[in-house]
Amino acid sequence: MLAKGVKRPRGEMEGGDPEPRDPSAAPASSLFNISMVKLHQSLRHVEPNLRHLVLVANTLRRMQDQMQREAGGPMAPDSPEAPSVGDDLLLSAMDSSISTILEDLGQVEVLSPARPEEEQPLAGASGARQEPARTSAPCLGPLELLSSASYLLEDSLEDIFEDIDTSMYDCDLWSPTSLSGFKAFSGAEDSDSKALAGAEDRLDMSDLDYLMDVLVGGHPPGAHRGRSIS
Amino acid sequence: HLTVILTASDIISTVEFNHTGELLATGDKGGRVVIFQREQESKNQPHRRGEYNVYSTFQSHEPEFDYLKSLEIEEKINKIRWLPQQNAAYFLLSTNDKTVKLWKVSERDKRPEGYNLKDEDGRLRDPSMITMLRVPVLRPMDLMVEATPRRVFANAHTYHINSISVNSDYETYMSADDLRINLWNFEITNQSFNIVDIKPANMEELTEVITAAEFHPHHCNTFVYSSSKGTIRLCDMRASALCDRHSKFFEEPEDPSNRSFFSEIISSISDVKFSHSGRYIMTRDYLTVKVWDLNMENRPIETYQVHDYLRSKLCSLYENDCIFDKFECVWNGSDSVIMTGSYNNFFRMFDRNTKRDVTLEASRENSKPRAILKPRKVCVGGKRRKDEISVDSLDFSKKILHTAWHPSENIIAVAATNNLYIFQDKVN
Repeated sequence: MLAKGVKRPRGEMEGGDPEPRDPSAAPASSLFNISMVKLHQSLRHVEPNLRHLVLVANTLRRMQDQMQREAGGPMAPDSPEAPSVGDDLLLSAMDSSISTILEDLGQVEVLSPARPEEEQPLAGASGARQEPARTSAPCLGPLELLSSASYLLEDSLEDIFEDIDTSMYDCDLWSPTSLSGFKAFSGAEDSDSKALAGAEDRLDMSDLDYLMDVLVGGHPPGAHRGRSIS
Repeated sequence: HLTVILTASDIISTVEFNHTGELLATGDKGGRVVIFQREQESKNQPHRRGEYNVYSTFQSHEPEFDYLKSLEIEEKINKIRWLPQQNAAYFLLSTNDKTVKLWKVSERDKRPEGYNLKDEDGRLRDPSMITMLRVPVLRPMDLMVEATPRRVFANAHTYHINSISVNSDYETYMSADDLRINLWNFEITNQSFNIVDIKPANMEELTEVITAAEFHPHHCNTFVYSSSKGTIRLCDMRASALCDRHSKFFEEPEDPSNRSFFSEIISSISDVKFSHSGRYIMTRDYLTVKVWDLNMENRPIETYQVHDYLRSKLCSLYENDCIFDKFECVWNGSDSVIMTGSYNNFFRMFDRNTKRDVTLEASRENSKPRAILKPRKVCVGGKRRKDEISVDSLDFSKKILHTAWHPSENIIAVAATNNLYIFQDKVN
């Protein structure tokens, strides 16, 4: 699995290669493919492991910079890289991988409407801002996905629901912390106190509901409906 | 060394002694917490002095389903941190990816007997049969240890919580996820202060995440957090409410001769710990442990190689994702020795004074009770000696990520997958 590379002596390198090869490294192209696979797998989760994602993406960027530098600059005599034809193939493979990821993105966008003032919309929606980013670092493409992933849009989700009155659900009686006082003891004699406390809860809630209804005008006063809250 | 091996039913994900060392807590992948208590000294059984036995077991977190995002939130306990003991009960914080809980562990050895309105089984008595009034009395019962959730701190983290740390004021604590750190008051569960936020305006600019965070042991206004780029930031909460600007920035310049595609990944810090003295911080990255002096930001004062023989294997460790393993590190009580885990159930100790180091193995074959642990050695190349193990024979599925050191004695707890090993230095 590990390809044995030849370790180049420092003197042989032209101009001092800033990224000397790992002596036992696999060829950069297979490392690149492995990284793209990892990126794909990471992005497939609804909540990707952010640390893993960021490290893999940064590593991909590093590889890409290296490949672009080698494609553009002079070749070292015994460089393991293929001549520029191979590099073109690599770069086009990169592009097609990225477009595949962006296609998958299309499904994510359905869940999360674009909010231009807050988040970066998908590629294609506002091409101008992303053009310069595209040409210099196509690998940024996968990270654009992050801006549309539903779980990262916590701010805009609030806006979607802002016209819904949630005051009823903010009731403290329903929060686990307020009920924890009733769970102070365990044991046979305390199940009674728990049942009593629960009944009191239910009474209060149905009273509240009834009051709300009266105030809103839905039901005439005097009609007390039974309520069951599970 | 005395050895106690305890097998859990699930992978242990965190280990932590309390402040006196009397209790040892473990959290596992199934959301359970198991607390061990050290036996009191007994003149009758001197050889059993100081052994740890199970004290309490409870389910801290359950798997949850987030319906909005359509995903399951793991119940795995990421971290446990003890509060200092202030009364008869013990308190600890436990957290999974999203929710922190404060648990109270208390003992009960008496119960009231002789109620008027119900019998001993709890059944209500027929009121017409009650002719006498009696006062319930407290009678001794078998010791019962019960754990109750006292606070639930939820809905404050969009990303995965990696650290919690109790402040030295004992009133507040912090929780850190990939991009944010929140400050909590123990009494208030429905709000927290955001003190660090490194989320970029555009997520496509995201290149760095928070990996660990800890409060200073004595200065309640100071904390540090580490990043995936190998940097540590020290922040002072008195400077501003939002500590996005650090007071100190610790980073070691990259060694040009060691550069590779994996330089950044192996520099990612997986754990950061203040020394007990508060003068130093220790960081763990993939291949080394570093000790930093708080007064010197440009490089660590000490660097210890944990398993440098892996440097030539980084490619395959990247392929199988082992390069992303997050090892923890710990100080001993006097800050003179540091310990961290490795693969093949090896763990390493470094004596900062003598500069000697040792590799030990947590395995059933090598750990008979009262047997002395034999140092292990990894052979890098060339001729392998009899007791050595070659790099290619290392089992990378057996990783020791979590270890703990008793606050004052030479007792260590090592988690090897499902097994908890407790080693004690027995001085006669």
